[in-house]
Amino acid sequence: MTLVSSRAKPQAALTLAPQIMSTEDLHLEGAPFLKEQTAGLYEPAGSKAAGEAAVRSTKQNREITDAIPYWQDWREQARAIKAFTVANLDKLLVEFERNITARGATVLWADSAEEANRHVLEIAREHNVKRVVKGKSMVSEEMELNHTFAAAGIRALETDLGEYLVQLAGQRPTHIVTPALHLSAEDVGRLFAEKLGEPFSAEHGDLTNIARRQLREEFLRADMGTSGVNFAIAETGTLVIVENEGNVGLSTATPPVHVALMGMEKVLPRIDYLPVFLQLLARVGTGQKLTSYTHLIHGATPGRKLYVIILDNGRSKILSDPAARQALRCIRCGMCLNVCPVYRRAGGWAYGWVYPGPIGSIITPHLVGLDKAGALPFASSLCGACSEVCPVKIDIPHQLVHLRHRAVGEPSPMNSATERLTWRLWAWAMSGPKRYRLAMWAVRLGVRLTKLLPWHPGKLGAWTRGRELPKVPGPAFRNWWRRNHSDFEK
Amino acid sequence: MTSRDAILRRIRTELADRAPADPPPVPEVWPRTDPGAEQLVERFTEELKAVHGEVIRCGSIEQARGKLAELVEQSQWGRIGSVDRPVCRELLCDLDPQQVAWAKQHWEPQAMAELPAGLVAAERLLADTGSCLIACGTPEERLMCYLPPASLVVARVDQLAEHMPAAWEAIGRQTADPQRRGEFVLVTGPSRTADIEKILILGVHGPRRVVVILVG
Repeated sequence: MTLVSSRAKPQAALTLAPQIMSTEDLHLEGAPFLKEQTAGLYEPAGSKAAGEAAVRSTKQNREITDAIPYWQDWREQARAIKAFTVANLDKLLVEFERNITARGATVLWADSAEEANRHVLEIAREHNVKRVVKGKSMVSEEMELNHTFAAAGIRALETDLGEYLVQLAGQRPTHIVTPALHLSAEDVGRLFAEKLGEPFSAEHGDLTNIARRQLREEFLRADMGTSGVNFAIAETGTLVIVENEGNVGLSTATPPVHVALMGMEKVLPRIDYLPVFLQLLARVGTGQKLTSYTHLIHGATPGRKLYVIILDNGRSKILSDPAARQALRCIRCGMCLNVCPVYRRAGGWAYGWVYPGPIGSIITPHLVGLDKAGALPFASSLCGACSEVCPVKIDIPHQLVHLRHRAVGEPSPMNSATERLTWRLWAWAMSGPKRYRLAMWAVRLGVRLTKLLPWHPGKLGAWTRGRELPKVPGPAFRNWWRRNHSDFEK
Repeated sequence: MTSRDAILRRIRTELADRAPADPPPVPEVWPRTDPGAEQLVERFTEELKAVHGEVIRCGSIEQARGKLAELVEQSQWGRIGSVDRPVCRELLCDLDPQQVAWAKQHWEPQAMAELPAGLVAAERLLADTGSCLIACGTPEERLMCYLPPASLVVARVDQLAEHMPAAWEAIGRQTADPQRRGEFVLVTGPSRTADIEKILILGVHGPRRVVVILVG
């Protein structure tokens, strides 16, 4: 495929991209952090561009937040409101349902992604839907909704520019807020030429115009529009969605049916709590004072149908671990990704599922299970940059440590027979100087012998495929000290 | 048991350990400084320009009519769409009736998309962000904000608030009204994207131009 730029390792990028995953039989095979056969990191297409963009966003974010004397107060207030929300989730969801139903909407509940997909398809069938325009939604990614639509023969197009590009390329988003961060303008030009037959251009304005023209037609012809939800106000039954492109406005107002997909933690008690969140979210998400559009959708617009699907999909499992509940405060701003040294280097696909970066390393194990994603919390240096910027003050490093504790005690890849044996051996070797010396001697010998082998089996082979075995250093410090210590004692 | 009941029951079981707590106080967010009208106009203009929007300041509705006629001619808009509000009627009364397409029920989006510009009326303007709060009660009023490539917003100077928290009481009252349906949208400049290499481009799916006609 010509799409992947020369910077990339095409094979690696392509095996990952088009995977279809449901949580039912999730294999996370593309996820190098999780993949048993690959011990190291992975470089997606354009990781350099993505890394640089993340560095720029971080710098911009620091300038913006430093200039606001109330910033730390806002974070604390947002944290407190979200904590109250999580502690009263059942009551608030019922209140939200009652109030938005009174304003003409239909509320559906979904235990799993699969059930949410069934709801969407039933709505589509009822309204004889052939064409769908989609606003950006992380829940839709969780549901693999595009796949569901395709399987049902319904044409569904992402309309957020970044999501549209990723969909055209048959890939997955690499970032929560800017999904196509890994594609250069040239990549996009080639993609449009190849998939849409447009003349090649690498000029940002031309490319945006092509997308506008292509999607304008789709908006006008669509039978159904879908969107995510940033906040759902219990007190008034209002859906709050923020965006910049106008595609959410068009997706939710043009077609006769609007289906809003919300994670059940999105509810907020009262509408006067909203300003503090809007101030925080725009500034950390995109560096704006306010996004171009903040929609407060207030029940069904007369003449249009509104459905709201409230999705659990593993979220209530997070509640069962009181130490982990704060993960439900997340407002999906993407800032922890930008500041993360691991994300910057490894890119979004390395995390294997919908949510990348530090927050993904917390949410994914909760939502899909430690047995499948138990390795993710280990993909962090615990530097703490994420918790410094998090607008709702999620203590991400301690959450990661908490999950590491759980991962080694519960069924997970970090609690396999090999892992247990390795740590046992290590503990044995560390418990006495003679044992330690013996172990180190064995390691040195092992590395030397391995270098002589013509091929490397199993996991060792996976590790050495992309890297060289380390050079065995000179004599051990202990031996050196034995010979030279007298020089220092004079 | 339905999924609704199953989910709610699970939440209740998992949260059995919770202690009752009062809701947190409503954050002040920004202090209220109650600036004068001129200061608000200046702040609003500066902020809207910073996000690539335009402001046309008019002392009176008569002056606004004149400036709008100029703008229509300059931009070569043959026909402009408008929501049906008294302030829009007042503003457009000098134009040839053939030049105005009033938002009507069951207007086909295809037809609306052909309009070069659409006029809407703002409920409130936010000076600190250059935002317009627009209340839309019908699909056509909503689409008038998003479909035409140029978006005209009319508002009076006394509708300016310094920031979102200061305007919130008015918004809160309206959203609490059980009869209210539709959408309140805060529009802050023209539609934009930075999805390709984080380069800012104006006018993606929504309007490329946002012009606020500020009267009074």
